[in-house]
Amino acid sequence: MDKASHLSVILDLSPTQWQLSAQSNVSHPLTLSTFVSHLLAFLNAHMACKDDNSLAVFGALPGKSVMLYSTTTPMDEKAVAADANTYRPFKILDTTITQTILDQIESISDNDVEAPIDIVGALTKSLCYINRVTNPANSRSEDATLLPDPRILIVSVSPDQSSSYISVMNSIFSAQKLKVTIDVCKLHVADSVFLQQAAHLTGGSYISIERPDALLQFLMMSFLPPPSIRQLISVPTQDKIDFRAACFCHKNIVDIGFVCSVCLSIFCQPVPVCSTCQTKFPMKTLLRLKAAHPHTPPPGTPPLRSGTPANSLPRSTSIAPGGTPRQVSNGNPNMLPVARSNTSATR
Amino acid sequence: MPPRRINDSYMDVDSDESDVSILDDDAGPRKSKGKGKAIDRGRDKGKSKVKEQPYAWEASYVRSWDTVQEDERGSLQGAVQDLIARGRRKRLLAPAAAIRRTIIRHLIILLDLSSSMMDRDMRPTRFDLTLQYTREFITEWFDQNPLGQIGIVGMRSGIGERIGEMSGNPQEVLKSISERHKLEPNGEPSLQNAIEMARSSMSHLPTHSSREIIAIFGSLTTCDPGNIHDTLDECVKDRIRISMVALAAEMKICREICDKTGGQFSVALNEGHFKDILFELIPPPAQRAVPRASGPGINPAADLMVMGFPTRLPVTSPPALCVCHSELKSEGFLCPRCSAKICDVPTDCDICGLMIVSSPHLARSYHHLFPVKPYQPVMTMEGVAYPASACHGCAVPFREIATPAGSLATDGMSPLGRYRCPECSNDFCGDCDVFVHDVVHCCPGCGK
Repeated sequence: MDKASHLSVILDLSPTQWQLSAQSNVSHPLTLSTFVSHLLAFLNAHMACKDDNSLAVFGALPGKSVMLYSTTTPMDEKAVAADANTYRPFKILDTTITQTILDQIESISDNDVEAPIDIVGALTKSLCYINRVTNPANSRSEDATLLPDPRILIVSVSPDQSSSYISVMNSIFSAQKLKVTIDVCKLHVADSVFLQQAAHLTGGSYISIERPDALLQFLMMSFLPPPSIRQLISVPTQDKIDFRAACFCHKNIVDIGFVCSVCLSIFCQPVPVCSTCQTKFPMKTLLRLKAAHPHTPPPGTPPLRSGTPANSLPRSTSIAPGGTPRQVSNGNPNMLPVARSNTSATR
Repeated sequence: MPPRRINDSYMDVDSDESDVSILDDDAGPRKSKGKGKAIDRGRDKGKSKVKEQPYAWEASYVRSWDTVQEDERGSLQGAVQDLIARGRRKRLLAPAAAIRRTIIRHLIILLDLSSSMMDRDMRPTRFDLTLQYTREFITEWFDQNPLGQIGIVGMRSGIGERIGEMSGNPQEVLKSISERHKLEPNGEPSLQNAIEMARSSMSHLPTHSSREIIAIFGSLTTCDPGNIHDTLDECVKDRIRISMVALAAEMKICREICDKTGGQFSVALNEGHFKDILFELIPPPAQRAVPRASGPGINPAADLMVMGFPTRLPVTSPPALCVCHSELKSEGFLCPRCSAKICDVPTDCDICGLMIVSSPHLARSYHHLFPVKPYQPVMTMEGVAYPASACHGCAVPFREIATPAGSLATDGMSPLGRYRCPECSNDFCGDCDVFVHDVVHCCPGCGK
């Protein structure tokens, strides 16, 4: 018999991004209200799958995160008007979630609108919640086999915030420890490096939806089955996973970083003193690295031309025919002399 | 927690214990030493409880009965819960001393494959047990030291034998010792040969990585071609830390090697203790702060390294040749600098020499750098206008009435079950407090 499954949904409720998403000049506009109606159908389907299934919905808002709904919090059922055409538990769920989303969005003040979305807060809260509901010490009546199978679904519309890199990674590792699968459903914006890593490391699926108006289809087909059933059906897998990290100094997302050997802090350019552990680095390393990486040009500026011709390295042997290599902002030709000087240095 | 103290008492008896076993060995053929000692100890049990109880099962029994007290209704439930809660809180409140630990570790495991490993004093044999524990050790070691590398050298028939090359991939290391029949013990061990071999394979390493040797040594002799003290001096010069786990008894040269190189030396009393002392060597050692004459003010061990974070290709991508094995493969990693396809990370790119690591590997250590500030127990609700009704993390409602027990305050327990983050002033329940500090390492309120 299958175990009950617990689903924590994290909704990205960024007013700016939803406004952009609803504009008619986007190829497939999706308004927040359409999104919520799709989502509610999905949540009802989850609750209908099994009697013991549980649900928690968290909202990530600018600068704060809130729990919108959970099956364990007692509800005031009288407040929900009776409807002869709807199954009552669904009605309660739908009304509560819609109402709390409305309340939360109305409570955002004008100066908060641009604050970063607190996706980390929502993620850690959902982990705390899962820790509580899956901890056998807390539910004494049930034995361990009845505990639900937890997973998290993140519906994201905002781009990555590189400042939250460490927190996101810490959350991913704790999800791994709790054996929580993180699924990511990405709408509209470019791929999120961190959420890709989250899905990859916890064994979930990362799906970037090209047709947001077909959201319900994706939710039902890919995210409804619990991880135990996923092995039997083929859920779309990730294409490429970007293992880039954010540097500690400027919060840039980098693919080649300078790493302090003592504390493993990542920097985007050679620094004389580690800002995290105050370690001083030897001068000759600095000079060598600075000579090798002349000036990391800001994205957009043309890469510096170097004397070495770009085709002097046997690159063609290694590049996958179909998978084009990711373009580095400062361009490959620029990096070639670095490759030479560094071979001797790192060995 | 009890395990610490047990280990201490192990260490106390270590020295005289090993003396005894040397006498044993001199007297005649050694047989079932571990068992014999266990029986001795069993006899002494009644006389002096604390000193003569190094076995984990005996020690923990005594302690748990001493400390647990029944409540007025004769139930142990409350006392046990209280004990657990206090233990957790105490661990959280312990001052986090700033110790610099080596993160990038290089380790060579020396396995004794001499005929003395076939002794049956540890079940099933010393050899089988060593293999089993070594496997567990390697798995656990890579879990805690994701950037480390392990190589394996065997000591057999008087020579050192390279069993596994230095590798950062746990699977590769485990594979090298997976075939038991290839490691069949034989002849005499040679400590000097094996150490020299390990030393030469670590000589090229950069200064910021640690060089360590862990020897599992079952024999009581070593058959060396030259003066082992010269080798020892070389190791000290190369700053190689040598730790040893002896299965038979303490040998003076082993102890001296470990002492001089800053390693640990211990003798296993029985199967369980063998595992304990081996696993004690897993956490990264504190780095020795020896200022070297060459670079005043600058730590010679610190350096800035260039690392690349690759892109992982899925299984569905079109196959291409990898640069490391020249095999046609679909999945793999792309070097961010030269776009070469590599089978596994962490590694050095074969084309451009860039050190390629997966960034989650690095990120695993960041919670050490930016720990969550300890939450303060809330003692009273006075002066708070609108107290939060539920935990900010898991939304469990707080209890209204404080528990009356007055002794709780000294242990940093909140009578209201509320713990407040000093940064964002949100209240958390006790479970979330422990969970946030032990597992998540990120406060749900302030995200730090």
